[in-house]
Amino acid sequence: MKILAIDDADLERELLIEVLKGSGVTNEFLQARDGDEALEVLGKYFKEICLILLDWQMPKVSGMEFMEGVVKVPAVAHIPIIMVSASGTEENKKKARDVNPNLGGYIVKPYKPEELLDVIKPFLK
Amino acid sequence: MGNQAREQELEQQAKLLNETIKKLFKERGEIEFAKEPTLAKKNIIEYNGRMRADGMEKFNNPTYVSFVNFYIDTKSMEKHSALGALVIYVEQSYVVPLVKKLKYPPIDDEDENAMKDGCGALCNIIAGAYKSALVTGGFAELEMSHFSNYRNTAANGIEFCFKEWDKYEISYYLDNEKRLVVELTMGVVPKRR
Repeated sequence: MKILAIDDADLERELLIEVLKGSGVTNEFLQARDGDEALEVLGKYFKEICLILLDWQMPKVSGMEFMEGVVKVPAVAHIPIIMVSASGTEENKKKARDVNPNLGGYIVKPYKPEELLDVIKPFLK
Repeated sequence: MGNQAREQELEQQAKLLNETIKKLFKERGEIEFAKEPTLAKKNIIEYNGRMRADGMEKFNNPTYVSFVNFYIDTKSMEKHSALGALVIYVEQSYVVPLVKKLKYPPIDDEDENAMKDGCGALCNIIAGAYKSALVTGGFAELEMSHFSNYRNTAANGIEFCFKEWDKYEISYYLDNEKRLVVELTMGVVPKRR
């Protein structure tokens, strides 16, 4: 199964993938630079995606807007989403959970590799 | 709020940002600055209603510039009515070493987009940490834009709060040289209810 990493910063996406691969995660990664691009990737590969790692602040379609769209579509609503954002206040976490009550987790950048791995491990297939 | 009170508040905001950056660099890359960062209040230079941001003025050398804006709420964000702006400037020759020090994957110094992206990623984590520090400090939660990146000059200027005249410029020294400059302008941030 594949993991979809969505972040407008190439460096943050690369870091995310590097950290996970370095920690022994063998899943294939799909990547998108914003919510718009992510919707296209999701439309094409939704049956093969086991987890979405989602940044919040992105151009065009933000992470929250993307997530609002995803939770309304039954075919993809079950895919676990983990927010990976530089904004880590309790209010932001609450907003994310209000939009998606099944949110898999919320990781604040900069994160420690083990912290990232702990949160995503239960969702790997 | 009177002028003096506003000036004091902006200074407090700049100090909070400075402490946030020092903590972030220490945690992320075990980075200690060569000397205490310097804080200087400066006038905002406005051009067509936007704040001018020229990297060449900071280092006298090619520079990468990234910024994010802060807003009171999502409605203000949609209207592009900014409360504040955080701008970072990194001299071109120091983008790669700085990214490496912060334990990001290596970037190609001949790839302008990768260099911009490196500067933007740094701006994003600084802005996010500052936003969280504001909340911890008893201020309201602000909305934050995604980052924008430029080489040398933010071509279209930067949104800022039209009531503000001043910004703070904080200079950071690494390997005995000024390597990073962070600017902050901020209107009155409401206290948390």
